[in-house]
Amino acid sequence: MKIVARDIMDTGFHTLAPETPISEAVNTFKQASQKEGRRLFGMMVLNDDGDLVGMLSMYDILLFMRPKHVHIWGKMDDIDLTGIIDQGLDKARSIRVGDIMSQEIVTIGPDTHKFLILDIMIKQHIRRLPVVEDGKILGIVYISDLFYDILDRFTEAGDDK
Amino acid sequence: MSSPRPHTLSGKVVADAMRRGINRLGRDSTISSAISILIKYKIGGLLVTDDDQNPVGVVSKTNLIGAYYAALPLDSPLEYIMTSPPLFCGHGDPLEHALEQMKKHQIYRIYVQDPEGSVIGALAYPDIVGMLYEFCSRCPKSIFRKDSISEDVERSRIGDCMTTNIKDVCSSSLMHEVLEELSMHHIGAILVTDESGQGVGVISKTDLILAYNHGIPLDTPATEVMSAPVRSCSKEDMLEEAIRQMIFSDVHRLFVRDSDAGEITGVFSLTDAALNRSGSCQACVASRIQIAP
Repeated sequence: MKIVARDIMDTGFHTLAPETPISEAVNTFKQASQKEGRRLFGMMVLNDDGDLVGMLSMYDILLFMRPKHVHIWGKMDDIDLTGIIDQGLDKARSIRVGDIMSQEIVTIGPDTHKFLILDIMIKQHIRRLPVVEDGKILGIVYISDLFYDILDRFTEAGDDK
Repeated sequence: MSSPRPHTLSGKVVADAMRRGINRLGRDSTISSAISILIKYKIGGLLVTDDDQNPVGVVSKTNLIGAYYAALPLDSPLEYIMTSPPLFCGHGDPLEHALEQMKKHQIYRIYVQDPEGSVIGALAYPDIVGMLYEFCSRCPKSIFRKDSISEDVERSRIGDCMTTNIKDVCSSSLMHEVLEELSMHHIGAILVTDESGQGVGVISKTDLILAYNHGIPLDTPATEVMSAPVRSCSKEDMLEEAIRQMIFSDVHRLFVRDSDAGEITGVFSLTDAALNRSGSCQACVASRIQIAP
């Protein structure tokens, strides 16, 4: 039975560099998702020395793309939305991964128990946790992997009947 | 202190315009992490807290630009650069009172406390303008309603409210000169002009903190960092038109031209709009029109 992080983690992880432009990061998300056969919603960001310096998620990118006064737009019935997204994309051209990545990162060790991982993810609203040992990145645990690892027993139990 | 004249924001309280989401970081967090938050959330400052989550300071774009000029490493802790202590107002305080506090202390953001002293929100000029715009655009006398244009209502124009004291640097200027100009004049952005004096770009505080985060040296030409083209409006535009342009383009200021393509003679920012306290006509004040909340 899978018990700790090293049993569940994905070791074929994809990474980004802080200097990477956001447009390129979006492409990396697409390509990595294609390669993995599932949608990836976040990636680790490593500096030139291979140190983990941040995490970039689709949520971070969407936060940047969200217009500041969107709460007013929702109440207005006379808004011409043409070109608004283009304006946002235009602003994003000068933005790099390091400008919007989350830098307050929570990591786990390879021997962290899966229910402790679950607890961290729930309490801190985190969907992916890098697995680090002695400063070296070993892999990443995605909430979906944890979900299927724990909940697959439902279907297994069903199959036995 | 209350305003001598009634205006569109009269009677409003801080809770009507504040944002409830607050961005905060610990005093040991890095300068780089603060830049990421300001860029991602499109805000001008964040609250700095101690280990017990008590607010101990504020880090604004101005603080970050100071750190850039001083060549502080990006992994320096925020406590090195924060302004302390933070300023607070109450959520039930008149908006007018909060505006006066912001103006007096030359700050762009004030934090909001509930009666128990917990920080529950932040009030910034763009949020006040957002509320003003929403209010004015719903008004029967709004300039955006075709049937109201012909009405005999006196309306103020950008030329009446703009700041004429614009600062510029020439396109051969270096980044450290830009930083010195901004700091000396306490302004949020500077115009970059070519040899003929024409505005070719703008360098805002946002451009500068991005340059800092990208490690751009201070001897880099300003033209490599500036945003172009210069966003502008006409002196004859009405306030709501300019506010609308700023709100929907996510920009803080528009440079003002004498006519549509004329010389730049002023600047109109969301701060100017907030301090003006009213839309272009003030019909709601004069005729006591009630706008549904």
